Amino acid sequence: MRCLTQPLLRRFLGLLPQCVPVGLSQSPVRGPKQSSLRQSCSARPGLVTAIDVVGYWQKVFETNGIPEARESSEYIVSFVLGAKTFQSLNSEKLHTPLTAVQQEQIQQLCHRRLERMPVQYVLGEWDFRDLTLKMRPPVFIPRPETEDLISLVLEEESRKHEEKNSGLCFPAAVPHPVILEIGCGSGAIALSLLCKLPQSCVIAVDKEEAAVDLTKENVHRLQLQDRIHILHHNVSYSSAEQLLLWGPMDFIVSNPPYVFHEDMASLDAEILCYEDLGALDGGADGMRVIKTILALAPSLLKDSGSVFLEVDPRHPDMVENWLQAHPDLLLTLRAVHKDFCGKPRFLHIQKQSR
Amino acid sequence: MNVPSLLHFTFLLKEARTASWRPWILRKQQFSLLRMPLFQAAGKKNSLNLLGLTEAELEEQFVRGDGPGGQATNKTSNCVVLKHIPSGIVVKCHQTRSVEQNRKIARKILQEKVDLFYKGEDSDVFKEKKASEKKKQEKKRRAKENLERKKQFKEM
Repeated sequence: MRCLTQPLLRRFLGLLPQCVPVGLSQSPVRGPKQSSLRQSCSARPGLVTAIDVVGYWQKVFETNGIPEARESSEYIVSFVLGAKTFQSLNSEKLHTPLTAVQQEQIQQLCHRRLERMPVQYVLGEWDFRDLTLKMRPPVFIPRPETEDLISLVLEEESRKHEEKNSGLCFPAAVPHPVILEIGCGSGAIALSLLCKLPQSCVIAVDKEEAAVDLTKENVHRLQLQDRIHILHHNVSYSSAEQLLLWGPMDFIVSNPPYVFHEDMASLDAEILCYEDLGALDGGADGMRVIKTILALAPSLLKDSGSVFLEVDPRHPDMVENWLQAHPDLLLTLRAVHKDFCGKPRFLHIQKQSR
Repeated sequence: MNVPSLLHFTFLLKEARTASWRPWILRKQQFSLLRMPLFQAAGKKNSLNLLGLTEAELEEQFVRGDGPGGQATNKTSNCVVLKHIPSGIVVKCHQTRSVEQNRKIARKILQEKVDLFYKGEDSDVFKEKKASEKKKQEKKRRAKENLERKKQFKEM
């Protein structure tokens, strides 16, 4: 786990009895408060339905200060019943008594949640747009905001293609966009783009072996290995030459670590204890990796190629200023897009054509 | 890290552990026109002729809270609440674990409900439902008839 390698954080994690790092302990340090499940049954004594169990574990989570008590309980129970969400379960499944095996599975998963493990790690999987991806600590869990980053890339690719087509008597050849993703994590962005752009090729890199391994697993699960190269590569320290194996790129896409270092301490326990903090910490102003990517972009991108970044809402102005201070990069901030909560979240930067 | 900020860090971590989590506030959001294209019929009901909805007439809410969002948050409440302002019809969707998918499905369901609302029996949604109900009844009737015939045959 990334946070264990940072001796300072290890000292502080010792202050959190609930926050026992994965692998060091098999059970929570203090027993969770639990009431009898049978007492809260609505069905005949001895029989529990999905609704009963969700209600029971919701109370247990609430009593133990676990955030999103209801949602966590619903996702876990639905998962054991083979569904994605509680709302998607049909009425029959909701009222059918659960087997002993199912109840045991639910209990095991809920105990992990009681240790503040994020639901996505508890279930070992999560969805990103229409893909189901394997999740494993400490590899960064894709956030829902990032789903819109994919739409932005697709829109730009579509726009470029239309632009090429307009003025022609017959359509231009099908484009084969080359995309570089920096910091692929679980592979969410790379795989979504691969699926939505069937002619594309992707190079996905991450500085952490665990992320490279997980992305490879997800690639194989989705049978997409032919069009993607996954490299263990740190853009901050390694030469960019090896990234040019398919020539210059049409797109560089990234959700780089962008949290301001001073904000790291106030993150939820779920994040601090289980996720790779190196995937979050962007240095003092959150701009360290953003700047590295932008400095690298001109040597990697085709003319008029684009960089799409997810950033902190404070970054758009900072990036604009920085680009103006580095005119030699020939990069322009084309647009700032908001996320579904209305916060400035995505930057579209384009390499000027010479 | 100097001592005062060490203590500060400790305090923040302790707070994270014991704080009663602030209730997530529903967040109203006018969704950008660019993200979801205007749509007519969607999904498997491609043959249906439904009233189109524009993003300007919709109001969307997400249970995402007032926090910083993005990387700094890891929340799993992906429920989408979508309202059609002119008719007041509201749809709540938590069919999937993806916000983007839930938004798509919410729009599809809302479009059907709005069409039904304005067109009533003239709506393709209504007509299709009637047609499938009729099919079901036909099937039942035929099954019953077959059963009767078998009974009579046995009694012969």
